[in-house]
Parts: sequence; structure tokens; C-alpha cells
Amino acid sequence: MNHYLYDGTPEGLVSAIAAILDSGDDPEAAHLAVRQDTLFEEGLFLRTDSAAAEALFARLRERAPDAVQTLWYFTMAETSELETSLLRYIALAFEHGDRVNGYLTHGDVKAVVATARKAGRELHRMKGLLRFEQLRDGTWLARMEPDHNVIQPLARHFSRRLRAQEWFIYDARRHSAAHWDGHALSFGTLEQFSRPELSPEEQEVQQLWQTFFKTIAIPERKNPRLQQSNMPAKYWKYLTEKQGE
Amino acid sequence: MELQEKITILSGAARYDASCASSGSNREGSAGGTGNTSQGGICHSWADDGRCISLLKILLSNDCRYDCAYCVNRSSNPVPRASFTAREVVDLTMEFYRRNYIEGLFLSSAVNVSPDHTMEEMVRVAEMLRNEERFGGYIHLKIIPGSSPELVRRAGLAADRISVNIELPSSESLQRLAPQKKKEAILAPMKLIGAEAGVSLVERRKSRKAPRFAPAGQSTQMIIGASPETDLQILQLSQGLYRKMNLKRVYYSAFVPVNEDNRLPVLSAPPLLREHRLYQADWLLRFYGFSPEEILSDDAPNLDESFDPKTAWALRHPEFFPVEINRADYAALLRVPGIGVVSAKRIIAARRFAPVTHEGMKKIGVVMKRAKYFITCSGRPFDKIDQQPARLRQRLLLGEGSEPKQPRQLVLPGLG
Ligand code: SF4
Repeated sequence: MNHYLYDGTPEGLVSAIAAILDSGDDPEAAHLAVRQDTLFEEGLFLRTDSAAAEALFARLRERAPDAVQTLWYFTMAETSELETSLLRYIALAFEHGDRVNGYLTHGDVKAVVATARKAGRELHRMKGLLRFEQLRDGTWLARMEPDHNVIQPLARHFSRRLRAQEWFIYDARRHSAAHWDGHALSFGTLEQFSRPELSPEEQEVQQLWQTFFKTIAIPERKNPRLQQSNMPAKYWKYLTEKQGE
Repeated sequence: MELQEKITILSGAARYDASCASSGSNREGSAGGTGNTSQGGICHSWADDGRCISLLKILLSNDCRYDCAYCVNRSSNPVPRASFTAREVVDLTMEFYRRNYIEGLFLSSAVNVSPDHTMEEMVRVAEMLRNEERFGGYIHLKIIPGSSPELVRRAGLAADRISVNIELPSSESLQRLAPQKKKEAILAPMKLIGAEAGVSLVERRKSRKAPRFAPAGQSTQMIIGASPETDLQILQLSQGLYRKMNLKRVYYSAFVPVNEDNRLPVLSAPPLLREHRLYQADWLLRFYGFSPEEILSDDAPNLDESFDPKTAWALRHPEFFPVEINRADYAALLRVPGIGVVSAKRIIAARRFAPVTHEGMKKIGVVMKRAKYFITCSGRPFDKIDQQPARLRQRLLLGEGSEPKQPRQLVLPGLG
């Protein structure tokens, strides 16, 4: 078993995988992990090489576009446990093309695909659960704290959907933000954040929504457990209809 | 009347409507406009009854001229009445959409003044949204039976989906329980919608600029258990609607007695399990290649309460099993109880690499609880499983529970 280490960044991960694949080493007999800088650590440290990471992405896109999508979602999970699985998954993707995603009886493929699916599910969920509030200056703000780092694809979704209004999405867990100015998207970080004042009509519209939310449920069929399993309580913090519960 | 109060009355009156999915349309928004639709549909919240909220589901008015036996809003009932103006519905939709509360609007209505009067207002809502607000989100309009073809046409041009409720599974029942609604008034717009949608598809193949007509198709809804039809009759009707009328969905609503009326049966509870079984059987018609006559027969015209329809079919057809996981084609895999569309596709994808074992079945996420009685993997049956058909029924019933799942939805008689 050959041990390899990388610096813990997504880019470092992809470029380390590129280096191992290029070395001709058997991926099934290689092990890849984040460098911890402890005394007892063993392994060859692979320096991050952006060009190599880019090149791997490009080659994989040719060979297996679905696998690139999976890889992208996998990185949104920000996990630092499954590097070796990812290495083997990518090796298999080069070998089999997009069919690799069907190879779920392979433990590493299954782990990578399951991680990516989970990220994809949260992205899909946030497309529904994100709530925009109108600020005093007429712009809009949505706040969230998702488990996965979904802000980029999420912002892209809303740049198509809510393109007639200027908005911000703020990820309070990662202090990152997306901004749509009506024409273009930009991303950045915000170290200091406090919510600006809301527009005068905002309260009223929120109340209308709360009323609708309450009345649309069938009273004889209250089912808080089903509601929570579909909409876990961790998302309620920013849900207009769940305020004051 | 305050807007808050109107919402309470008019969304309260709409909450029993089943057909609230927002999927099946793919509308790119226009530059500078607001909204698009997404193919798969998005849930924006889940109500206190656990159901997905995707659309602003509301009635334009509950002030009804008609007196259908099964409906809360019938004219002879003393309930509070309210009506929105078209402008109010447009504003509400836009305000909600901008905040990402909803995918769009699902507008229905009672028959206020006349079918055409009501339909005209509903169409105006959709047209204002599209033309004045440049709204690209999802719109579903209910067609009021008896409205003029011209209004139906306009509705189809503005909405993603339109639907006409068939209300009851036979014209005799319609005659008895909803005498003001005529069978022809329901079927005529259905046919018109089918024809217009077909023409639009052909035109759009020639030119992308040709107008789209209800791109997410048409659906309908009927009440189950308020009239004497058997499940076989109901499924045959649905099959006809799918095949001949090209409907996208048929929704079933368990009858909930809200009115005292001697034309209505007396039920201790709404037939929710029956509704659930019908949805399962309907699913088999649409995605699994079953015919109504395979699921039911004249001797046994009603769905089994203890078993889902696919398991019931499997129990009647021991000669079809066991199915060999590594050889069976897609259609045969789908016939195995416990193997759905996703599982069948995963099995086919995985067995390209290596034969799938029982362990492998679990790895790819197939639930084996029921499937294990009906399959072999490379000739091997599941551990110590007794595939004697005679004992299967009992095992499935008593064994690792074939308890019917909690019925998913309660649905009250149709509105509009
Ligand atoms: S079903 Fe429709 S038409 Fe009949 S009474 Fe109710 S609201 Fe009126």
C-alpha cells in the first residue's frame, strides 16, 4: 500500500489524484489522506498543482461528463475522509466512462456516489427552502446554513429564476456570499454580517404567507413527524413560515 | 374584506384538492422577466399535515351557484364566502414568488355567477401574470365545466397545465350527485385541450416560435367512494383517459362526508386505504406496463386491502417467479414486488460490471423485505427462503410485515 498526502484543499485533492494516476501506481493499492503534520505520519506529500487539477478535470469531462458532475457534488460535501475512494472512483471513471455511476456494488464507487447524492439532495432542497426578504433599499437577502457548500450552483439557479431583482445569498456557516446585480453573479466572503433593516411591506407579505401556510394543511391530518422528516428542524431558523414556533 | 381573511377562506377551501404537483414543464424565463419552471418540480415547504407545498393553491371564489351533493362550497351550505379580484391574485403570486415561497400558482374556483364569468376572470389572472408581470413560473388553471371553447383555448395558451375534473367515475353518478354539471361539459373541454395540445406540438416541431399549449399537459380528478363504481371500472376509466385523452395524471380523492345528504353513502371514515391502493394501481398502469384487467377481474373487481396491487398480482402468478436478477429484462424486474423503477435501473447498471449477489442487491439500495421471496441471484434463492407459493401469502402478511403504509393523502371532493 502506497501512502500519499495532500494539503486538504479541493484543488489539492484533485491534483494529488492526477499525480497518482499519472505515476502508474495501482489505485486499488494506494491510499490518500490529508496531511496532518504529526510526527508519525507516513507518506509522500503531493504539492497542489492547479494546472494538473484543471487538466484532470478537462480529461474527465471528455471521458465521463456525469462523473465530473459527481466529483463536483462530492467536493460540496467538504468531507476529508473519502479521498482514497475518490481516487479509485476516478480511476474507474477513466476506465468505464459514465457507466461507473452504476457500479454501486463497488464499495468506493458507492461511497463517492452516495456522498455526491447527499450533496445534490441538499442543493435541491435549498432551491425550495431558501427565503428572500426585501430590504429597505429594495434589494433582497436570503440567509442559510446548509451542511454542504452549495452556494455556487444555488446562486446560479436563482440567477435564472429571480433575475429581475437584485439579491444576495449569505451562507452564515461559511461566511460566504453570492450577489446578483441583475446582470452578473459574483461570489465573495463576508466576515462581519448583520441583517440590514427590512422594507416596510415585508412584514405584511410574510404574514400573508404564514396564514396561507397554516390554512393549507388539512386539520384532521396533522402529521408533525412527516413534516419534520421532509423538512428537518435544522432548516427552520430561516423559514418565514416557521418563525415563532 | 381584509386580504388575510380572504386567504384564510380561499386557501382553506382549496386545501383538499389533490392535484398540486408542479412538474413536467420546462419554461425558460424571458430576459428581464421573473421566474422559470424546473422539470422535476420543487417543494418549497411542507405543511403541518406533511404534504409538500409547491404552489399557491387557492380558489378565486368559493361563492358557488351550483349545489353538488359532496362539496363544502355548495350553494345550500352556510359557509363564509369570499372572492379575490384578478389583481389580488396576481400580486399575491408575484410577492410570494419573489421571496421563493412557491413555484407558481394553482388557481381553481367555484362557479361564481356563471361558468364563463368565472373562467374569464381566471384566464385574466394568468394572462396578466404572463403579459404584464412577465411571469415565467408555473401556472395550473382548473377549467370550469361549461365554459366556452375560446376561454379554454386562452387558458391553455397562458398556463403550464390545465385540468378539468371528471368528478365522478360514471355519468350516472354525475347526474345524481352533481346534476348541474353535464358529462358533455366536462368531456368537451378535455377533448379540446387534447386536440389543441397535439396541434401545438406539431407546430412547434416546425417552428420554435409556435405558441405552446399547456406544455405540462392536462390532468383530472375524481372522487372515490361517493358512488358505487368498482375499482376495475375506475381503472378502466383512467386507462382510457391516459390512452385516448392523453392525460398526464388522474388524481383520486377519497370521499369525505361534509354534508348531510341522502344521496350520499354513510361512511365511518374516508376510504383512504382505497385511495392509496388506487394510486398504486394507477402507477402500475403508467410506469409498469400493467393493464387494468391484469390487476383486477370481473370476479374480483376491487383492490385487495392487505396487499399492494403488485404483490397481489405476484401472488396470483407464481409461474412468473422467481425472477433471475442477472438475466431478467427491465419489464420483468419491474414485476417483482419491492423492486421499483430506480432499483430496476440500478440492477441493470450494476450487473454490467459483475453478477449481482444478494449482498450486492443491498449495496445498491434495493429493499429486500418483499423482493427476497420472488428472486434468485445467479440461480441462488435468498437464504433459507421458502418459495412455496402457498405459504408466501401468509408469510408476507404475518412475516416481516406487509402492513399497508399510512395512506398518503386525504382528499376532499373536487372544487370547481
Ligand atoms: S364542486 Fe365546484 S361547482 Fe360543485 S358546488 Fe363545489 S365549488 Fe360549486
